Amino acid sequence: MIKKTGLYIHIPFCVRKCNYCAFLSFDAETSPRKEYTDALVNEITYRGEQLGHPEIDTVYVGGGTPSVLDISQMRDIMHAVCKSFRVKEGAEITIEANPATLGRKDGVMLAKLQAYRFMGFNRLSMGVQAMDNDRLHYMGRLHTAENVVRDMELIRRKGFDNVNLDLMFSIPGETTEDALSDLERILGLDPEHISCYSLQIEEGTPFGDMAEAGELTEVPDEEDRRTYHEICRVLREAGYEHYEISNFAKPGFRSRHNSLYWDMSDYIGVGLGASGFTDGRRYKNISDIEAYIEAFAKLPEEGGRIEIPLEEDHLNSSFDNISEAVFTGLRRSEGISYEEALDAYMRCAEGPMHEDPQAAFWRIFAEAKEEAEDYVRRGLLIIDDKGLKLTEQGIDISNQIMSLFV
Amino acid sequence: MSYLDNIRNFSIIAHIDHGKSTLADRLIEKTGLVEARDMKEQYLDNMDIERERGITIKLQTTRLKYQAKDGQEYILNLIDTPGHVDFNYEVSRSLAACDGAVLVVDATQGVEAQTLGNVYLALDEDLEIMPVLNKMDLDSARPADARAEIEDIIGLDASEAPEISAKTGMGIDEMLEKLVEVIPPPKGDPDGKLKALIFDSYYDSYKGVIIYTRIFDGRVRKGDVIRMMNTGKNYEVTEVGYCIPGTVPSDELKAGEVGYICGSIKQVADARVGDTITLASDPAEEPLKGYKKAQSMVYCGIFPAEGEKYENVKDALEKLQVNDAAFNFEPENSAALGYGFRCGFLGLLHMDVITERLAREFDLDIITTLPSVVYKVVMKDGSVLDIQNPSNLPDPILISRIEEPIVKADIMTPNDYVGSIMTLCQNRRGKMIHMEYLTKTRVQLHYEMPLNEVIYDFFDALKSRTRGYASLDYEFLRYQPAKLVKLDILLNREQIDALSTIVPEEEAMAKGRGICEKLKDIIPRHQFEVPIQAAIGQKIIARETVRAYRKDVLAKCYGGDVSRKKKLLEKQKAGKKRMRQFGQVTVPQEAFTEVLKLDDGK
Repeated sequence: MIKKTGLYIHIPFCVRKCNYCAFLSFDAETSPRKEYTDALVNEITYRGEQLGHPEIDTVYVGGGTPSVLDISQMRDIMHAVCKSFRVKEGAEITIEANPATLGRKDGVMLAKLQAYRFMGFNRLSMGVQAMDNDRLHYMGRLHTAENVVRDMELIRRKGFDNVNLDLMFSIPGETTEDALSDLERILGLDPEHISCYSLQIEEGTPFGDMAEAGELTEVPDEEDRRTYHEICRVLREAGYEHYEISNFAKPGFRSRHNSLYWDMSDYIGVGLGASGFTDGRRYKNISDIEAYIEAFAKLPEEGGRIEIPLEEDHLNSSFDNISEAVFTGLRRSEGISYEEALDAYMRCAEGPMHEDPQAAFWRIFAEAKEEAEDYVRRGLLIIDDKGLKLTEQGIDISNQIMSLFV
Repeated sequence: MSYLDNIRNFSIIAHIDHGKSTLADRLIEKTGLVEARDMKEQYLDNMDIERERGITIKLQTTRLKYQAKDGQEYILNLIDTPGHVDFNYEVSRSLAACDGAVLVVDATQGVEAQTLGNVYLALDEDLEIMPVLNKMDLDSARPADARAEIEDIIGLDASEAPEISAKTGMGIDEMLEKLVEVIPPPKGDPDGKLKALIFDSYYDSYKGVIIYTRIFDGRVRKGDVIRMMNTGKNYEVTEVGYCIPGTVPSDELKAGEVGYICGSIKQVADARVGDTITLASDPAEEPLKGYKKAQSMVYCGIFPAEGEKYENVKDALEKLQVNDAAFNFEPENSAALGYGFRCGFLGLLHMDVITERLAREFDLDIITTLPSVVYKVVMKDGSVLDIQNPSNLPDPILISRIEEPIVKADIMTPNDYVGSIMTLCQNRRGKMIHMEYLTKTRVQLHYEMPLNEVIYDFFDALKSRTRGYASLDYEFLRYQPAKLVKLDILLNREQIDALSTIVPEEEAMAKGRGICEKLKDIIPRHQFEVPIQAAIGQKIIARETVRAYRKDVLAKCYGGDVSRKKKLLEKQKAGKKRMRQFGQVTVPQEAFTEVLKLDDGK
């Protein structure tokens, strides 16, 4: 199997941080967007150079809210990408956007979308989250359901024929029926791809504080799971493939970039706090924006080096590789095959593997076997001669099953 | 003038936190044995656990040299005493090795229950007691009040008690002068038959057991064959010497002196504290008074946790036993927890110390079960069984009666808290024997209570109700008949033997309900509902349900951050290791110890 390579670019700015968000993001108005863009361009250039200008199959600009950058800033970034990497013909190039951040007037919005098309973006992912204005307001989102409908219209008009919409469920106070009504409205927009996440209350967010103060009641697990399975059913009936725990796509529209994370492919991460997996190493850039900007303020002289400041830098062992292959692979509807798992295992090993993949797999995970079979008996996991996969019920407690293999 | 005139053998006695160890440090520093820079904080407390908890469990003895103002050089043998009620016997033997004691009273706090308890122990040994007032560097010191309390409550003349600060070193010289003057020199006949008291021992991997001893009569040298008068065992002496600190060999030890003896002894149980050493060739007629066998008061099960080897736990327990005569264990088999050990301890603190050392020093993953006392079960056929494991309680039909251990508990408290302490003791089946107003604001309450009620967090409850002001001292009194039943716990309809307890019949309902509620919080949700039931015999008396676990899924692998996800999964796996599977119910380890810490404040 020919492995693909992706490039992830992080834009850590938002107009406003949502009440549930624990991700790395700064206020778009007051943050050094220009300086950050310059540093990012330098990192892209430098890493491209260091890696020998590799071919890449996907580009994903995420955040934060990438659409808050000026058109010229985004163009500089994408130009750097094209100069430093060999972006393949037909590559999937995604930009994340939030509704109502593409521009206040239709004209501005259309111009921005047009510019994105010129830069090469052919997929757009929009953080809709809900289609009810009270719930959107409660979550601290700045847009309305009407904005979403209007944005989608303009997005389509500009020729984006591969659009993902994010939907969140289990927002405090929300019932299964509420979530399904949001889903109906989203389906009305006919996106090619839908991501559905249940809201998680994280410490240090406004929702986290509210939960601690007893001002917020989390949706009970039972309701959350009922909603999830209902969503799966409705989407299946609407012709979407449930190809990953949280992801649904019309045939032919699975996210190629996200798939890289689940099949142990290489991906290069650039930008603040971005993660990457290259040359068998997992790394994560630092999260201190000032230190980041300083580190990439200048490119070195010809042939010089930059000490890239990393928060994490780990050379994977064979076991790391197979373990990650299994728990990321289990996120996919097709699960993980023994062959694929063993491929990951043999990546950094000497010589070929002589053992049968299935036998080798269970030798490596001998300790997990008994419990895994117990999950099979309970109808949560399927194990056959090819490999392993979760059932839809198994997804509910997927962490427990995955933790057998770490 | 005899060499004996220049020896002083003494202990420091104090309530916990009153600064005993700090004072010992200062004395060692003052008399120049250890350079200030080599001083660890509290030199004598040499186990990590002791230092963390601010208590002394194992004894340390130190020989100090002091040049007094009268021009004489004195040998001061400081014999440290363990500072907890569990170790009363050990304290009494240490005191028996002394001729006097320095009584440290915190000038900011005054006299506490343990101060009194330890003073009584010292008085029982006929010791000269020299009070000193510590913590005089603090603004809150009330020396006049503390003096008055010493006089009113203990009855000692405290008018000349030195005012010191063990922390800053203030008044230490004056104290040492006073000590030499007040504490009498030892008596004894170096040419008499050997009589030496063992007041502590520990195991050294090179020398075998090292005995700390005070020679009362006679002398002992390398090569002598000694006999333990109570156990009757003989050993050849391989080394004698002084503790300066550490072990420094000398030619001999003679009457009045304090030092150590080694003799290739394999475990400390063979050199039991309180035993008398004599010469096998020329034995003394009578041993010294006061020898007692170690008696375990509290028992609990110790089992290897999932993934831990039985053999590792066994090795560790054996190693600990070599060094702790008061600790014993035997194999036990539990349906719920597999093969493990039933272990006996002097008290709850002793138990905590041992289990913590197993985890910390031996890096073992263990599960400890609920502590239990020893019940005397009188059978209908007249035989008497000692039962310390609730699951071994015979069928009630065969039992004539059950007797439980009762302790005498002395609680000292400011009078404001008398009401709430009385409620607490009443809830714990305590019977008030007497109440004394020691001063206008300080009260001593004397209770008789089942030991069973004291071993579960009674001390914590007492402290929290009195904002830490009350102090507790207790000792075993007698066995007494009581109406007791075995309370069983069923998880998913399976009885978990390790969760069985023996409780008073009238409290069974409330206790059962309490345990079920507690377990409901501790036991994680499963894929199915888990009924938790409390039962006496066949009768279910309480029930709770753990709702089924529905969701354990992390939706997003944000921006390809696989490492973060992996860490979460690894954490989850480690957490699971700490749990046990019963049928299909996963029970976290803490369930076994947390379950009876029921807050009876409500």
